[in-house]
Amino acid sequence: MRIKLLAPAMLGLALLAIAGQSSSADLNKQPRAAGIETYGYAWNSPDQDLNRALAHPADAEKGQADYKICKGCHKIDGSGLAEADYPQLAGQHASVIIKQMMDIRAGRRDNPRMYPFSGDWIVSAEEIADIAAYLNKLPTPATNGKGNGYNLSRGKALYYKDCASCHGKSGEGDAKKFYPMVAGQHYSYLKRETRESRDQGRRNASLEMVKVLKRYSDADIDAVSDYMSRLKVAEKH
Amino acid sequence: MKSFTPKPLIAFACLALSAVIAAPVQADAEAIANEMCAGCHGADGNSMVPGFPKLAGQQKVYLLRELKDYRSGKRVSEIMAPLVSTLSDQDVADLADFYAKQKPAPGVAGNPALLSVGKNLYLKGNSNTDVPSCDSCHEEDGSGSGKFPRVAGQHVDYALDQFRLYATGKRTNGSRVMQAVANRMSEEETRAVAEYMASMP
Repeated sequence: MRIKLLAPAMLGLALLAIAGQSSSADLNKQPRAAGIETYGYAWNSPDQDLNRALAHPADAEKGQADYKICKGCHKIDGSGLAEADYPQLAGQHASVIIKQMMDIRAGRRDNPRMYPFSGDWIVSAEEIADIAAYLNKLPTPATNGKGNGYNLSRGKALYYKDCASCHGKSGEGDAKKFYPMVAGQHYSYLKRETRESRDQGRRNASLEMVKVLKRYSDADIDAVSDYMSRLKVAEKH
Repeated sequence: MKSFTPKPLIAFACLALSAVIAAPVQADAEAIANEMCAGCHGADGNSMVPGFPKLAGQQKVYLLRELKDYRSGKRVSEIMAPLVSTLSDQDVADLADFYAKQKPAPGVAGNPALLSVGKNLYLKGNSNTDVPSCDSCHEEDGSGSGKFPRVAGQHVDYALDQFRLYATGKRTNGSRVMQAVANRMSEEETRAVAEYMASMP
């Protein structure tokens, strides 16, 4: 009896507590821009912020200093954290890092966890370009998270049938086309992002890729993610 | 929340002091510091009052930004606002320089039980709640750099006040990073990190 009376009161208190927090939450709330769910969506359509960063003569040394604010999650060597799905960034194409950052801060790629750290009140377009240049030069650690290894032949077959034409024979991606390097990426991150792309939760994915992924089961995605996580990053320069 | 209520007596003392020197002259930073700031922040910037921050050895860039933000109202404080309103650009620059050059007193550990929790969060963050590690911006030794303030040896009470102001969106100057971070930290983590920072030499 007493518990029944208490419950609504507790709920009221909880709601009040949430309301009290709202001012901070609002300030760091990610905006929502049109994405793949929108009619006429075009992948990687021209963006002012993106163009500014791409036009900037990037300075990797300066980028190292500006990377400071990122490394609290993505770590000093850019390796991220497999168990938290923080992507591995070391060696990733600068163009890819820039595009994804711009998509997050514009709200085309939903990422409320990352958003408060991506705004132009923290990093300018030019600084993002510097950071991306720095990360691109870092060696990709081979200690990234891998899958269980049970379905690698299935993963391999899918990868070369559907993925390699864009993401490269060795998972190297394509800097000019903004296609991410997938080699050396954490399995957990690849799996999450691929599933989200298929289900259109990753709203900045390419339509072409989503069309292919629609045919994939969860098990297919797990297998191909596991295979990609094991691809060896080619020696640079 | 009660801990950041202005301490009326000290506030009154500071205001009284400010009234005495209402017309700012070309005094050097040390003179201004002695007349205006020492009552709360200590003669050498090592405040003895838990609610008022230690300024000795603080980052110059950070001090300058905070002083200017107090003056413009971007950072809100009933105590600081009337004081800094009398200062010129040169004065605030000189004061920032003065406090940055003072020797910080070594930290004091209040609650050893929380230190290991605090140290762990400070150096590793909490990936379950997406709290980044503190050392990436504030440095492993808590000395800060540039716009990222020194946190080593800071009073627990002051640090807790700031965490709460950030978490509730009431401190909005600077970047919004600390609002997100403070909002994601549990009460225990907040306490523990404040204790750990206070203990840093």
